[in-house]
Amino acid sequence: MAILIDEHTRVLIQGITGKVGSFQAKIMLEYGTSIVAGVTPGKGGTTLHGVPVYDFIEDASRNHEVDVVLCFVPARFAKDAAIEAIDNDIKLLVLTTAGISDQETLSISNYAFTKGTRVLGPDTPGLVSPGKCKVGVHPNRVLKEGSVGVVSKSGALSYEVCKQLTENGYGQSTIIGIGGGPLWDITQRDTLEMFENDPQTKAIVLLGEVGGTMEHEAAAFIETSVSKPVISLIVGRSAPKGAQMGHAGAIIEGERETAGSKIDALIKAGSHVAKNPAEIVAYLRKLGV
Amino acid sequence: MRLLEFQAKRIFSEHEIPIPKSVLITSVADVAGLAFPTILKAQATVGGRRKAGAIKVAESASEATPAVEELLNTTVKGHRVQAVLAEEQVVVERELYLAVLIDKVAKLPMLMASSAGGVDIEAVGRDSPEKIIKKYVHPSVGLPRYVLQYLATQLSVKDRMADLTSIVEKMFAVFYGYNASLVEINPLAVTPNGLVALDAKILLDDKAAYRHPELFDQIKEEQNRLAKSEKSRAQQLAEEYGVTYVPLEGEVALISDGAGTGMLALDLIRDVGGRAANFCELGGLAGTESMQQALEVVLANPKAKVLLISLIGGLTRMDEVAEGIVNYLKEHRVTIPLTVRMCGTQEEVGRAKLREVGIETYDDLPTAILAAVNGVEAD
Repeated sequence: MAILIDEHTRVLIQGITGKVGSFQAKIMLEYGTSIVAGVTPGKGGTTLHGVPVYDFIEDASRNHEVDVVLCFVPARFAKDAAIEAIDNDIKLLVLTTAGISDQETLSISNYAFTKGTRVLGPDTPGLVSPGKCKVGVHPNRVLKEGSVGVVSKSGALSYEVCKQLTENGYGQSTIIGIGGGPLWDITQRDTLEMFENDPQTKAIVLLGEVGGTMEHEAAAFIETSVSKPVISLIVGRSAPKGAQMGHAGAIIEGERETAGSKIDALIKAGSHVAKNPAEIVAYLRKLGV
Repeated sequence: MRLLEFQAKRIFSEHEIPIPKSVLITSVADVAGLAFPTILKAQATVGGRRKAGAIKVAESASEATPAVEELLNTTVKGHRVQAVLAEEQVVVERELYLAVLIDKVAKLPMLMASSAGGVDIEAVGRDSPEKIIKKYVHPSVGLPRYVLQYLATQLSVKDRMADLTSIVEKMFAVFYGYNASLVEINPLAVTPNGLVALDAKILLDDKAAYRHPELFDQIKEEQNRLAKSEKSRAQQLAEEYGVTYVPLEGEVALISDGAGTGMLALDLIRDVGGRAANFCELGGLAGTESMQQALEVVLANPKAKVLLISLIGGLTRMDEVAEGIVNYLKEHRVTIPLTVRMCGTQEEVGRAKLREVGIETYDDLPTAILAAVNGVEAD
């Protein structure tokens, strides 16, 4: 099972011939991801790592079934690329691009909603269902197939936690990076719902941070609608107020946006809260997962 | 980026949003040309200027001279004032609040208004939320007339419906035209001569800077000249290079290759009794050059006693950032202990490169953090 992607998922990569797109495509192919096509305007008709490259998604769609579009297009052109993917009725768009302006992110998100496309990101490392399919940039060595669902705003924090999980024998059902914000289409709450409904997932790890109020919405959902154990880790406990902590969304602009307030809400909602990745493993042991 | 009041008002004026007549003055000599009475407003990109004593009223040149002198030498919340906006005093009957912003939860532009203007709007929202009107404005729907009529009724300015409509429409034009995150008028004054924006606040989205290069260049040039904030060498370098850098009070200098892992490192440093000297992260796509720049930034802080570089690459390639570290060490003498934690994409190549210059890396983050924090104590 897993969520959103599995061994049957067919992937198209936008920006496949760029430096990052080409390097990461190779790693994903080695992992076993079924990359059926790539798109780079002007490079149509060529192949890369054996994958056919097209000028437009429409051209690719004539020859291939595509479930997910993974976008490596730079911020300046990313909105256009996203609209092209949505126009082609793609179910899931994974937008790795960082630095897309908020108003452009709004346009993408609102248009996707009208067309029924879900958008992961922007500024996401993507997602992986270990052993089945990888549509992202996660380092392979931290991945292991299993039953822990992981959702994170930050890519690197999810690598930290998966490294710890994998080294201690806890595999993952799906690891999903929703992006650094401050605007999200797929939220923590949405992924909690998906993990709750996924038979492979036995426990959920929620990785959050300072800034915004999404963790409060997640906590409210955990309280009413999640039966599986949730272990949360909120980083930025020592972050100063008002400072931009790297992610566009990671800035404390009110009391509810602090790590402390989110931790309190999650504990109240029935989530276990860890202070570091090792404590997450300890909770899993204690819970007998 | 937050604009200075006079910069925001220049944009208002270009869009014909009514503002009081004003002159920007940068020296006491400029007082000679003013009309009185006048309001003297220190130009700094901070809120709460009235409370901070950064806004003064002068009835005459003899009052204005010492006031300007004082304002030009003052520091408002860490910003040294270099310019004062001298504004004509208008007759104010009531003060309203108007803003256009992005509602992050609904993911829609929002029009916000209140009859309680001229004060801290967050306090109004907290203490009497019923006084704040919020209306989503979907880009494909535009501004419905009923919203404007509702607003005019709630704000008791039905007799100024045309003025209000024009101002709100123009605020949206500014919002969309410059990819703004916020366009705010607080207060919007009701005067015998119509509605007038007494203050102006515009936040531009830095992520859209390349769409408006001339505007951003002009704003930055003016702010460098007229609103010098007190910045350390490290902060200046960070701005120049576009590196995320937050100065902190401690001794452990930190470079991370992601925001989440960086904040985790920050928390773990504190949990083991250490104190971070800064937060610095390279984003998910760091390379050789950005690593060299980050090193230059964090080591420009004289309080740094040890350096911890914590890397867990996904998009970031360890071979590339290792090369950045090696290049930096070739060109600079680093006198403080260096701890490197490295794993992830291309880690074997990265580790080998560092081993060649005598640096052994850690794989485990808590172990690396302990080593770095212990390095401070050994010092």
